[in-house]
Amino acid sequence: MQKVFSQVKSVIGTFSLIAILSSSMVSAGGEVGDHVNHLSDNLNKYSEEVSWLIKKVDGIVTRYELDGIKAANAKAVIDHWEAVDFHAAIESNYVPVYALIWQGLYGVKESIDNNSGKEAVRAEQRKLEQVLWQALGAVKLAAQFQDRGLLQKVALREGGPTNSLETIDEIQARLNRVVAKFAEKLNKESIDIVHDTYLSLFEGIEGDLISMNAELVEQLEKDFNVTLPLGLKGNSSVKQIQDIVNDMQKKLSIAKELLAKKESNKKEVF
Amino acid sequence: MQRRTFLQQLGALGLLGACPAILPQHLAAAPSMVSVKQLPKLKGELTLYLGRGEGGLYENVLDAIKKRNPDFDLKIRRGPTAALANAIVAEAQANVRRAEVFWAVDSGAIGLLTDKGLAQPLPEDLTSQLRPEFRFPNWAPVTGRIRTLAYNTERLKASDIPDSILALAESDLSIAWAPAYASFQSFVTAMRLLIGEQKTINWLKAMNKRAKKYAGELGVVLAAERGEVDLGLANHYYTLRLKSGKPDATVDLAFTNNDAGCLVNASGILALKQSDTAINFIRYLLTTEVQSYLASEAYEIPLIGDLAPPAGLPALQTISPPKVDLTQLANLRPTLNMMRKAGVL
Repeated sequence: MQKVFSQVKSVIGTFSLIAILSSSMVSAGGEVGDHVNHLSDNLNKYSEEVSWLIKKVDGIVTRYELDGIKAANAKAVIDHWEAVDFHAAIESNYVPVYALIWQGLYGVKESIDNNSGKEAVRAEQRKLEQVLWQALGAVKLAAQFQDRGLLQKVALREGGPTNSLETIDEIQARLNRVVAKFAEKLNKESIDIVHDTYLSLFEGIEGDLISMNAELVEQLEKDFNVTLPLGLKGNSSVKQIQDIVNDMQKKLSIAKELLAKKESNKKEVF
Repeated sequence: MQRRTFLQQLGALGLLGACPAILPQHLAAAPSMVSVKQLPKLKGELTLYLGRGEGGLYENVLDAIKKRNPDFDLKIRRGPTAALANAIVAEAQANVRRAEVFWAVDSGAIGLLTDKGLAQPLPEDLTSQLRPEFRFPNWAPVTGRIRTLAYNTERLKASDIPDSILALAESDLSIAWAPAYASFQSFVTAMRLLIGEQKTINWLKAMNKRAKKYAGELGVVLAAERGEVDLGLANHYYTLRLKSGKPDATVDLAFTNNDAGCLVNASGILALKQSDTAINFIRYLLTTEVQSYLASEAYEIPLIGDLAPPAGLPALQTISPPKVDLTQLANLRPTLNMMRKAGVL
């Protein structure tokens, strides 16, 4: 848990904790509700949901052990996850853990569907439980930051970035969503996000960037158009995709520094 | 490469019904340039729909206008240009006019609104600030961009490059292009309008055999610079910006002659309601200061008076773009159908 907290703090430090949601952004469980902007008021509910979910998964695993694959109906693991509001709370606040939850959900589901041994299924279940508690911890910490006004409000309707620095923030948030969607096994959706992010956001700032650091833009061009889409199309693991995205995030942070420097020395229009 | 000038063509431009402001008497008169200092202060509220693009440079212009006019309350809705144009049409059909001014990053979206009769007439003293070939009765181009051939200078000399976009398909050059990119599709639309569907489809098919696809046009220019291809089809500013950040970049610009390959397209603005504030706001965008700013910072081509083009680009008068009514570039559907038919999309 401490590790997750320090990760969350680190992310807050770079002002990218919140994945800003655009109008078209819908969580896998449906529309993102306004509850994500009132985390503290909903912590009890989230805690209850995590406990409920863990109990439900345990029931599925137990039925598998007693009566086999069909009785277990492992697909319900996903259905239960999509039914809880906690889903949107973690998705809109800390995408890296959100992606791990999906890995855990599929770990349980697929180990059952593949008729794995009881121990192996229980091991997947334990991994899922662990990451769910980590996620709850991350949301609790995010609630504290939100109460202190340190979190950007999650946009439920389209606003759009107003300058190149905000554009970088949105690109970084969208890349996190790419990992999340990939973890949900929504490969096409994750690839669409990459293409749309490139064309509608990155393309708008790369002209400015290339006049400051052409090599950095060349690398990001390749990341957006080759490395990441190929990874998403192939048989990569979530960790491999996360690594590619982490590398891109670092480059984007450098880009943001360059753009901020330019912004502070910008030429006056009049 | 042969060159012709705009002036050689302007006599014929007056024949274009879509460009009624282009009259022979304008040819001799140099358009006047207006400084922001000559403009009235903006007051009251104005709602602008702003097409996303240029990484915030348009926003810098808007911030500067707001700073200069403290009694002016500018409300901005941002989004992709095409989506905003569609929203304006939908709002009009619902008898709602939220937007008073629309600033689009490409003229195709402007055409969609002028065709629907939603654009209000602009005063002649405003449109006459623009160069004659960019005067329209109910919208104002803000800045221009030209289609170019960005070529690798270690692999080619300028004289190796055909001066006809059609001839490019018959050459043995390796080529980069970005068919999914909006500017490319506007260029194909221009070609369709200039030479017809069948010839355009034939060209697309022939090119498709030798062209390598990229997602965006900076990628196209980078591919030419790296030597992955001999040349790429792209708007001019990508090459200029690359050379600004990498002065030894092995890429340069070439232009075709009087065909869609050197189309000059433009961002544009129109008023959706008749109001002095809307018109005066548009005047700010056509000032010497804003035009110079966008030329130096965004490498866009100024369209008023005789302001210099961005560094590294020849004067427009030395290039021979085709005569195309930019508002007709809005009709993308037949273009996309053609591109699919040719296997390009």
